[in-house]
Amino acid sequence: MNQRYRFIFRGFAVLALIASAFAVKVGDPAPGFTAVDSNGKQQRLSDYKGKFVVLEWHNQGCPYTKKHYESGNMQRLQKEWTEKGVVWLTVISSAPGTQGFVTPSQENDYLKTMKASPTAVLMDPGGSLGHLYAAKTTPHMFVIDPAGMLVYNGAIDDHPTSNQGDIPNSKNYVSMALEQAMGGKPVAEAATRPYGCSVKYKD
Amino acid sequence: MLVMFTISAAILARAATQHATVELISRQTSVKPGSHVQLGVHFMLEKGWHIYWINPGDSGQPPSFKWHLPSGFSAGEIQWPRPERLQPNKELVDYGYGDEILLPLTIHTPPGISNGASVEFGAEAKWLVCREVCIPEQTNLHLKLPVSSAASVDQQHAQLFEKTYKLIPKPLPSGWKTSFASTKDEFILTIRASKPITQAEFFPLDPGQIDNPAPQKVQPTPQGARITMKKSDLLLKPISTLRGVLVMPGDPAYQIEAPARQPIQ
Repeated sequence: MNQRYRFIFRGFAVLALIASAFAVKVGDPAPGFTAVDSNGKQQRLSDYKGKFVVLEWHNQGCPYTKKHYESGNMQRLQKEWTEKGVVWLTVISSAPGTQGFVTPSQENDYLKTMKASPTAVLMDPGGSLGHLYAAKTTPHMFVIDPAGMLVYNGAIDDHPTSNQGDIPNSKNYVSMALEQAMGGKPVAEAATRPYGCSVKYKD
Repeated sequence: MLVMFTISAAILARAATQHATVELISRQTSVKPGSHVQLGVHFMLEKGWHIYWINPGDSGQPPSFKWHLPSGFSAGEIQWPRPERLQPNKELVDYGYGDEILLPLTIHTPPGISNGASVEFGAEAKWLVCREVCIPEQTNLHLKLPVSSAASVDQQHAQLFEKTYKLIPKPLPSGWKTSFASTKDEFILTIRASKPITQAEFFPLDPGQIDNPAPQKVQPTPQGARITMKKSDLLLKPISTLRGVLVMPGDPAYQIEAPARQPIQ
């Protein structure tokens, strides 16, 4: 076995170990990962130790994702929280040939058109990052605190519909989790049922 | 492969959207004063597409209805037939229906309506229909029925209602008892029945309690079974009742409302 293959094998083994060792449960350490973003840059969760990190599972063709992008709701959240020092990582786990799969340049065009400003978009067509977090829907949101602990896992808000008209009356769980955690308080609603389209994994 | 939203608002009992034909039907051909009438929303889905149960599982959304009834009429709850387990990939399991499904409900009729008049029922129906992708669809459904004090069953529809009633979870047979215990990561549902149970599946009514894709382990006992289920990662607090539907081959589906026993640990 040459060096390169051995490295890849070890990589898989480590990933599998992490996946089985951690349930993705609020209060537990968020599983570490390395992923490539839409600009070809490596993004490591450990690079952001000391900061709050939001993970947002995304599929631009999904009606529930569209609810939050065509209304500008997701962009508002990205702007508001990244301006406050939060790292916002959008993740695309759609497999090639499925809804929401995009090339890095298509994704960068989309960000420009939608005026979206996440810190980075992680390209996960193989689904390993999605499976590591057991991401189920688009959107599915996670909040990680500066110590690397998961403090929120679930829906973006409390209106599980694809109707933009529901947004003004919705309680945004991500903002509430960030406000409470930043204020040194426990997150009151730390786990909710995420709603949306199923993530379009290859398996 | 962008799919458009389809909004059909025809004033018809039957409405066709992109992936479904939906009809408001009645088990009776007329409405009897001071009684009730069985209505149902009949979904006929395009092959390969499905809609969702009241607990849709890990993704999806159940259909919703806003009823428009003549004054004095009132609608009961939808009686949800037992769902099928739908698994789009290893991460998720959804609960829903493919092909065709009738969602029945009872409408209570007031005494003071006169023979010979006609009444109109309406529903704003919204549902999510999915195959690999999901499309929200909606339509307005209408149904006009004459008022008559004579009972009158619609033979064609009655058959569909009868077939559907067989799929609606029944209360447990008398003498059967259920309870559940909780370990750190699992629920153990104990069913005390009149016979050993070798095959069974539990469909949870409340989302976010059990890990839907995790296999359920059924251990037969002389008087029933123990079903072990992994807890959902989203469950952070203890629960007092495990509610759901038990499906066993050869038996009707049963309603489960199991109280918690003392924690094992």
